Amino acid sequence: MTKSADILDGLSEATPAFRRYARALGAGAGLVVADGVVQAALQGLGARMRAREICPTDREAARVEAYAAITALAARKFIATPGPGPRQPPIVHGLSRLHVDDRAVLLLICLEGFGYETVARIVGASRESVFVRLQRARLAMADWADMTNIPAEMSPTRNSAHLRVVK
Amino acid sequence: MEEADLHAFVDGLLDPQQRRQVEEHLLTHPEDAALVENWRRQNAALRAVYEPIARETPAPSLRSAAAQVTSQPQGPAIETGATHWGRPGVLPRMRRREDVLAQQRRQAIFASVLAVLAVAAVAALATFIFAGRHESSPSQSVMSVPQGYVSRAGLTYATYISDVHAVEIDASRHDELMSWLKSRVGFAKLPDLSAHGLRLLGGRVAPGVAAPAGFLVYERADGGRVGLYFERATASVSQQNAKVGIGIAAIEWRAADFAFVLIGPLSVDEMQSVAESAAARVNLPAPGQ
Repeated sequence: MTKSADILDGLSEATPAFRRYARALGAGAGLVVADGVVQAALQGLGARMRAREICPTDREAARVEAYAAITALAARKFIATPGPGPRQPPIVHGLSRLHVDDRAVLLLICLEGFGYETVARIVGASRESVFVRLQRARLAMADWADMTNIPAEMSPTRNSAHLRVVK
Repeated sequence: MEEADLHAFVDGLLDPQQRRQVEEHLLTHPEDAALVENWRRQNAALRAVYEPIARETPAPSLRSAAAQVTSQPQGPAIETGATHWGRPGVLPRMRRREDVLAQQRRQAIFASVLAVLAVAAVAALATFIFAGRHESSPSQSVMSVPQGYVSRAGLTYATYISDVHAVEIDASRHDELMSWLKSRVGFAKLPDLSAHGLRLLGGRVAPGVAAPAGFLVYERADGGRVGLYFERATASVSQQNAKVGIGIAAIEWRAADFAFVLIGPLSVDEMQSVAESAAARVNLPAPGQ
């Protein structure tokens, strides 16, 4: 197997994790939009690799590039998406209130398990900036991790017994 | 003890010796221990919500997205007047082996699909001829369409929603769309769902369960699309436990002798809110009535 084929295989295998990250980064934006971001980011990455604009040396480097592409695209795509619905878990509401830059740093570290240096490369910021964003995100999320219910003012009353919900 | 050490401790970025130092510090500093515990709960809550997504199987097109060659322009337009097959200097001189293999695979798949279609066409023709000679009972015909409105709406949604031609008549031709739906489906109202951020793109006539159905397509600012399916309700169609796809919700209701199904990638709460608005609007008398 050639190196480029191996790298493409690596990206393919990491797709479930990319979806997880994009979905969390969207914080209520919906699966279709999040998958669209992953698809566009990976297609763009593949095109840049074919054009030799970037030449990842191994699977891990390609994975980092993919996260960077998703993060950059998400900053534009998710900016106008509506917030999560009232039945979403509290932690998702907390995420949706973070600035997308802070959200990205928090998720890359806490959900995706990257170190600070790698996260700095992914988001294109210094290590110090990454740490400040992480601090800010964790502080803002402090009240949401312990909540088990959404505040009452966020749960509109329903009067729709005639509607049959199919999931 | 620096706060940075506490963050690194929670994130598993310390070596064993540093880790022990932080653990000893936390034993004697309950306020820092509480802080660390809160961060750990945040991490656990995030993983509990989003980890299941990583266990889903992504669509094949998504898995192979990086290997796909898109038709998007890769650079500025070429203004030399010459005919270029691609952007100069970007494409490799020779096609790579995996590209050739991929093309061979596509050709093989295409040939297989053609063969299956040919066999299906022959089978359909044979069935048609056979059915013409031996009339089947009406009950056998009914048995061949075991679908409810939600299933049919799901099929319609999956077929058309991401199509380039998702609608046949766009919303700007309002009167034409209304007239067409009225004549083919027997019902023509175009609920205004703009209060929910849903802009009407237009509509089309689609195959229904027992009659032609109407299918209106709405779009959000982020590109997400929601469909409103409606068909004249008949007593013979039973409600079933239909599945409409992962991440897609559907809400069904009946009004004015019609079955309505709202379907899209919104959360159940959002869908319910939109369905309430749509249900209220289809019940309103049409202008002039």
